[in-house]
Amino acid sequence: MANNPTNDSAVSMTKWQLNGQEVENHAGMTIMEAAKEHGIEIPCFCYHPGLSIAGNCRICMVESNRSHKPVISCSERIAEGLEIETDSEVAVDARNSVMEFQLINHPLDCPVCDKSGECVLQDHSYAHGPDRSRFVEDKNIRHTKELGPDISIWGNRCIVCTRCVRFCDEISGTSELCIVERGDRSVVDVFPEIPIDNQLAGNTVDICPVGALISHDFKYEARVWNMDRIDSVCGGCSRGCNIEVETLDGFVKRLIPRENLDVNDWWMCDEGRYGWRHLYADDRITQATRDGAEQTDSAATDALEELLSESGPVAFLIDPFLTCEELHLVQGLAASRPGSKVGGWLPADGTAASFPSGFQISAAKYPNRSGAEQVFGDQVFGDDAKQLQKSLLSNGFDTVIAFCGGHQSTGPGDSWTQALANTATRIVFSVMNGPWLEGASLVLPATAPIEKEGTWINEDGRLQRTRSCWNPGTDPFAVELVRLQALQHALGLRGRSLSAAGVFRELAAANTAFSGHNHSDLGSPGLLLSERPAAVASDGGTE
Amino acid sequence: MANTLSFSSETMKQYEWLLTRYPTRRAVLLPTLRLAESEFGELGVPEMRFVADLMEIPPAFVFGVVTFYTHYRRAGTGKYNIQVCSTLSCALRGSEDVVSRITERLGIGPGETTPCGQFSLSKVECLGSCDTAPMLQCNDDYHEDLTLEDVDQLIEQLRAEADGGQNG
Ligand code: SF4
Ligand code: SF4
Ligand code: FES
Ligand code: FES
Repeated sequence: MANNPTNDSAVSMTKWQLNGQEVENHAGMTIMEAAKEHGIEIPCFCYHPGLSIAGNCRICMVESNRSHKPVISCSERIAEGLEIETDSEVAVDARNSVMEFQLINHPLDCPVCDKSGECVLQDHSYAHGPDRSRFVEDKNIRHTKELGPDISIWGNRCIVCTRCVRFCDEISGTSELCIVERGDRSVVDVFPEIPIDNQLAGNTVDICPVGALISHDFKYEARVWNMDRIDSVCGGCSRGCNIEVETLDGFVKRLIPRENLDVNDWWMCDEGRYGWRHLYADDRITQATRDGAEQTDSAATDALEELLSESGPVAFLIDPFLTCEELHLVQGLAASRPGSKVGGWLPADGTAASFPSGFQISAAKYPNRSGAEQVFGDQVFGDDAKQLQKSLLSNGFDTVIAFCGGHQSTGPGDSWTQALANTATRIVFSVMNGPWLEGASLVLPATAPIEKEGTWINEDGRLQRTRSCWNPGTDPFAVELVRLQALQHALGLRGRSLSAAGVFRELAAANTAFSGHNHSDLGSPGLLLSERPAAVASDGGTE
Repeated sequence: MANTLSFSSETMKQYEWLLTRYPTRRAVLLPTLRLAESEFGELGVPEMRFVADLMEIPPAFVFGVVTFYTHYRRAGTGKYNIQVCSTLSCALRGSEDVVSRITERLGIGPGETTPCGQFSLSKVECLGSCDTAPMLQCNDDYHEDLTLEDVDQLIEQLRAEADGGQNG
């Protein structure tokens, strides 16, 4: 999506000198980007790879043989014969002066600042800042106020880098933010009564290099160094934005985007970002029940085995939240019960949106329709589903296993709820409580999208790996991946249980669409299903 | 927010002429704000919103520009807007004393307006009259080579003008 000059092999090369070494980079790169390719990180505040270059913070100054004064490396480009020093006395002096300047009015209230621990100013202050202040005057005061329903500004911390302003101008295209006043009074603000309230607004908090923009959702929730992080994929819609899920003591505290230039650049939408509270909602199903009576995990698996071992053909109702691995296990079960049928339900479409930067939100509010269609064929949510519903309604099956993922209060909808109610033995995996569970023989807790371990295929056909945000050792209920394998084992369909990667290997061996792929080669950007991993295997592609 | 403001047809003509004089629309913002200021008397929220809508540029951008400059008359400014230059030449020649004297006489500090709404005081950056430092600008007029007596006199004069003028 984002244009990345380094990926264009047609551009010519430029020879230049970096810290006394002759180096080569693609022509037209900035000094900062080029130096990074040689392992030299030049500090920056206002520069962000996804935004236009503003060149206002000056922290990135380096010494150049082409200028009497230090130059800013985020905007100066490399050229033949250019000689750059990033750590000479001139460069270090320039950086230290900028740091001293930045800290004149900065409150340094790190102990109560949410950004502390991931603050660019804090890092640079540690590396380049003076250990005491020569500033004896009073620090100035700037406003602390809500800019919108989810975001506030702590004006005293703002270093006026304009990243957030540029984000709203260039990425969301909504232009709610501006810098008001000037000099040491300048600070971010919104026009009176026009709050920042766009679908991508949360990203401004991520890219604020300091703790000036604060997310109401995360305020005072956790110190960032105490949290565990896991690379995951958002299940909020069929884009499958790459995200990091951050947890404290096993509880989700925050979702933030993870760079993937093929899917979401550096961004995610607010619906996905704040869409995890249902995990801890009162109507979350956390306990297995049989005919209304609570069951332990192992009793629930035994019950599952008991209900299935005597069954004839089984109706399987799948959902578009299941991973490819879970779907593969369902397929194995269906194949073992001749006469079984598989169909799927889809949540109602939401609204799609696209933004000036190319970022998109899909109307399909689920992650893996494409995966299910690869495993069960492209009619699994179409004709197959219609037929399945028809035969359930005419008492065509004694047993049904339904998967009701997602957090929609409507679940699979009225007609499916009715069809399920028509079947004598009803086994339902469900994330939330709802009418579709009424009268079920066996209710089993299911995993929500960010709790799943496995792969999804997004609407572009990109196979991406998502990792579970909780530790299965401490979770209160068995995940589908575990329970379905336990069931297969009990029914004599498999030997030992496997990890998600192991199940994927089985899938790849069984299904040509997946053949050649495996978890470790997917790397962090994922792969189009049509691209075989051999293409990346040469440069490592390890996980 | 429904906006009831509009430019007179005369001002509209000037605006349209301005559009032909600048390479980009945003570049026309500064003179358009001047037009709005003289048409509406001040630049408050409705006025800024009007200009933004007229020019089809984000209101926040207009807000940023208006507040960046001290040269625009913002809503709530007193009838007499006293801006004392505080940049180098003026500072060396005693601008701080000028400010203190005004504060003494009017009972307001920089950034404040008298309760009667007659006077506003602010410190501003160089007004381009360094050779006659210290100096201040009151509405559109420069007062240069100031002594503290000049300041007293100016305030007396403005007070008299204010009292003598229409009530209000
Ligand atoms: S609020 Fe943050 S991102 Fe925005 S200008 Fe200030 S420091 Fe930069
Ligand atoms: S666009 Fe879709 S996948 Fe991306 S963050 Fe939003 S809901 Fe999640
Ligand atoms: S990063 Fe180069 S000027 Fe800010
Ligand atoms: S310094 Fe006061 S007018 Fe220039």
